[in-house]
Amino acid sequence: MNELSILEIREIVQTVRDVYDYDFSNYALTAFKSRLERLIMKYNVHNAGNLNRKLKEEPDFFDTFLFEISIPSTEMFRDPSVWRWLREEFFPSALNNISGKFKIMVPFCVSGGELYSLAILLHEAGFEDNVQIYASSMSNTAIDLIKTGQYDLKKTEVSEENYKRYAGNRELSKYYSIERYFAFRDTSLIKDIEIKKVKACDELPQNIKLILCRNNLIYFNPSLQDRIVRQLHNALSVNGHLILGIQEKINSSGSFNGFDNINETERVYMKKQLI
Amino acid sequence: MDYKAIIIGGSAGSFQVVTKILSALPANFPLPVLLCFHRLKHVRSGFVEALSLKSRIPVSEPFDKEQLKPGRAYLAPANYHMYVELANRIALSTEDTVNHSRPSIDLAFITAANAYREKLIAIILSGANRDGAFGLKKVQDNGGLTIVQDPNECEVKTMTQSALQLTKADFVYTTNQIINLLSRIKQG
Repeated sequence: MNELSILEIREIVQTVRDVYDYDFSNYALTAFKSRLERLIMKYNVHNAGNLNRKLKEEPDFFDTFLFEISIPSTEMFRDPSVWRWLREEFFPSALNNISGKFKIMVPFCVSGGELYSLAILLHEAGFEDNVQIYASSMSNTAIDLIKTGQYDLKKTEVSEENYKRYAGNRELSKYYSIERYFAFRDTSLIKDIEIKKVKACDELPQNIKLILCRNNLIYFNPSLQDRIVRQLHNALSVNGHLILGIQEKINSSGSFNGFDNINETERVYMKKQLI
Repeated sequence: MDYKAIIIGGSAGSFQVVTKILSALPANFPLPVLLCFHRLKHVRSGFVEALSLKSRIPVSEPFDKEQLKPGRAYLAPANYHMYVELANRIALSTEDTVNHSRPSIDLAFITAANAYREKLIAIILSGANRDGAFGLKKVQDNGGLTIVQDPNECEVKTMTQSALQLTKADFVYTTNQIINLLSRIKQG
């Protein structure tokens, strides 16, 4: 297959906008292009024109499209030091003397790597009854995979290594079984978690204390990043925390200062007091 | 010679070479230098610090969407792919590994080739797998200048030999010849 041209990418974006009212025009071009090319190969549609036609003629295919366009987290417990910081510093003080549930949001779930890592942390630390987790995903395909626990087998090895560096209580393999080519994670870990299908970052819950949003903003251009950061800011309560990926920064476009960066190496931001 | 960026890729045996190249570039070097090296996924720190010791231009691991500037070196961070995005910005990605690698040299080179076309200089150094061969070909197809470190000088020859199998590189150079060429570059 030839590389997609910018014009062809625009046509696909236009089709999706016209037919389904989803806007991908502010996705970061390079990764979006590679996802489209991968999709075209995987589903044997050969070229952009055929993909446009398929999107127009097969509404059932659109959820697949949304799933394949999304990029899953690399493996569980990526950047073990972030998870250690959450377990050892953040949660013990945040959950101390809390009244009501501590609300956590995990948006943009695809493979559920971050969600399951968080659930394992909370389970092992005995915090699971103190929190309410709001997860969201763009596609039902992703939500089904997360709910059935299905996970890419080739990601388990690095996940195991990460978990060891995180110094979890047991072996990560206690949390999944292997059947044929897939790992299946223990779904009892996420039984109390609501995973909502959302279009972008609309209809966010309010008074959230912690948002885990690592390596999602990298797939957007600076203007969409800025818009989503403002939406996440709006969902957080004052002093609520936002955790980004290790090489992500608020303000790639430089206009928003509603957060203080309270942990430089782990990219933790805190919503400022209103002045 | 009018160029906009330099990209260098390598893995095993390339650390000494890139250190030598960086130490030879003047502090006011007129182009951004992109560096993509295979590295351990879980080791976040140490690489930049080691490269910075002898470099006369600042070396950093870029944040997502960071603007590329002349006279600076940008090292692909651990466990991310590094792309050149529109408007001379870096984009990072956690997509699947390519050639068992993240960062992948092929992806970095291909995106740089698309962004800079004939105004790119791409260099493949010593390394232990085939990553980078496709990327270098793409650079050549788009009119960029391709350089491969002389395999006779490489600690591990696989990467340079793979690149040369796929692309008739413009130059097969020793480290000193590479330095000599880079020192004559003017901004495009």
